[in-house]
Amino acid sequence: MVPRRSLHRPEVTLPVPRPLLLLFAALLVLLSACEPSSSTAFTATNLGVGDDGWRGIPLDLDPPRTLPDVTLTDVDGQDVALAEDLAGSPVLLFFGYTSCPDICPIHLRTIASSMSALGVSTDQVQVVFVSVDPERDTPERIDEFTTAFDRNFIGLRGDIEVVEEALAQLDMPGPVVEGADPRGEGELIGHPAQVIGFDHAGVARRLWPFGARRADWVADLPRILEEWTAERGSGRASDDPQPLDTDRDVEGLPGSHGQGEEQP
Amino acid sequence: MNVAWWCSGTGQVWTWRYTPFIGVWLVAAAFIGSYVAAHRRAGQPLDRTLLRRWCLGVLALFVVSEWPIGQLGAGYLATVGVARYVVYTFVAAPLLLSALPTWLIDRWLPFGSRRERAVSFVTRWPVALLVFNVVLFGTHVPVVVDGLKTTQLGSFSIDVLHLSAGLVWWWPAIRRERARNAIQEPIRAFYLFASSVLMFVPAAFLTFSPLPLYGLYELAPPLWLGFDAIADQQAAGIVMNVVGGFVLWGIIAALFLRWARDQHEDDEVTRRAENVVRLAQARASSADRDEP
Repeated sequence: MVPRRSLHRPEVTLPVPRPLLLLFAALLVLLSACEPSSSTAFTATNLGVGDDGWRGIPLDLDPPRTLPDVTLTDVDGQDVALAEDLAGSPVLLFFGYTSCPDICPIHLRTIASSMSALGVSTDQVQVVFVSVDPERDTPERIDEFTTAFDRNFIGLRGDIEVVEEALAQLDMPGPVVEGADPRGEGELIGHPAQVIGFDHAGVARRLWPFGARRADWVADLPRILEEWTAERGSGRASDDPQPLDTDRDVEGLPGSHGQGEEQP
Repeated sequence: MNVAWWCSGTGQVWTWRYTPFIGVWLVAAAFIGSYVAAHRRAGQPLDRTLLRRWCLGVLALFVVSEWPIGQLGAGYLATVGVARYVVYTFVAAPLLLSALPTWLIDRWLPFGSRRERAVSFVTRWPVALLVFNVVLFGTHVPVVVDGLKTTQLGSFSIDVLHLSAGLVWWWPAIRRERARNAIQEPIRAFYLFASSVLMFVPAAFLTFSPLPLYGLYELAPPLWLGFDAIADQQAAGIVMNVVGGFVLWGIIAALFLRWARDQHEDDEVTRRAENVVRLAQARASSADRDEP
């Protein structure tokens, strides 16, 4: 007896044999489970708007962290005392190295393009890059690196002990060697992945972890100008110390690049 | 050596170290193998022209899906990502579709079968136009790109969607079987032109957006120091608009010219036939007059 279903069922030839399809499906599931590990804290989302309207994550101001009391050298060989020479206008401070393949160029590029889009100059907001790799980062190399984003970005270097001291004053971990650069350019160095924002008085107010996009900076830069500059921001309610937003932050400083958290 | 199933945005530092994508090789082999096997099973000889088209279609898929283009497009450069879409939709899909002989389609999609009814529904030109544009818009929405292209399975799904939508969309314009929803000029020219115009919408978003739309490309490790995500996005919009548009309009022009030539030839044949009749009638009337 012919099964009922087959009575009106035309004979259909699959373009691909069924066993091959099953093999495909099995391989697909198997191989898609073998995702290569991500090199960075790879995220494709904006930071999101906090309760206060900022995208950057607020820092605990009790006790306040200030611009590190250390002296570094700029690309012209001039001494720069961070706490004294940078105070007076808002500062975005970032610790990185010129051979960094991802986080450093992405952060600096994003900041530079956002400032350019908004017409914010480095006279209004200073952007400071401090090398955590003084052995490789010569003044010329730092100059070339920062100029690739904005010729007015400030590039600084110093002995590794001084850089570590600066990081320690900000409760940030020091740099560590993380292994060989896959591009064959020496070694990768783990370093804090956040940009720290200081107001005109040199007090650390917020930080932007890796993953901050241009949309985040375009939203926050006007607030930095509005609330952190000396003549406009002093005495404003928004300058009052703000508690750490525990919903958006973790203990200490979130988003560190290195120290075993992110493997290049 | 790194091995992966399909290209995806991993966030890994770009290196020129070859990473084979097993899925791409398998899909290409399955496409060629199933084409040859279908001919053998049916006892039909392989038509060289059609086989060449099929192989070129598979080659186009292979080149833009394998390393390095697949990887660059899936995780580093929006321009390459859009170029992949253009190749999938406007090069590979029409080549593959035009390489299928009618008997093979009859064999794969026998009239009255469930599969044939489904294909028949989606390849009606208004439905096909809708499917194509839903996939075009849907797969270029930032949340979809950022969400799916960061996994191999998601990236593979997007590519399958692009190829499938391309095949569905080209079907009524390329296939010549009227019983299988083939459309004729001038509807065909309108159909293709309408799609090219609609494609300007996502292309314009890419070109004119003041902010990078896709976090995937904005936060990917840069390939060079001065890389600018906005410039990359604008280039992607131009690729979609200009390259996609040129390819499409080139095909529209070619199809229209072919149709015009066919019409002209038909007219010529009709005119000649009429001339023959007229000449015969003239001869007949002349012969009548000459008769005493």
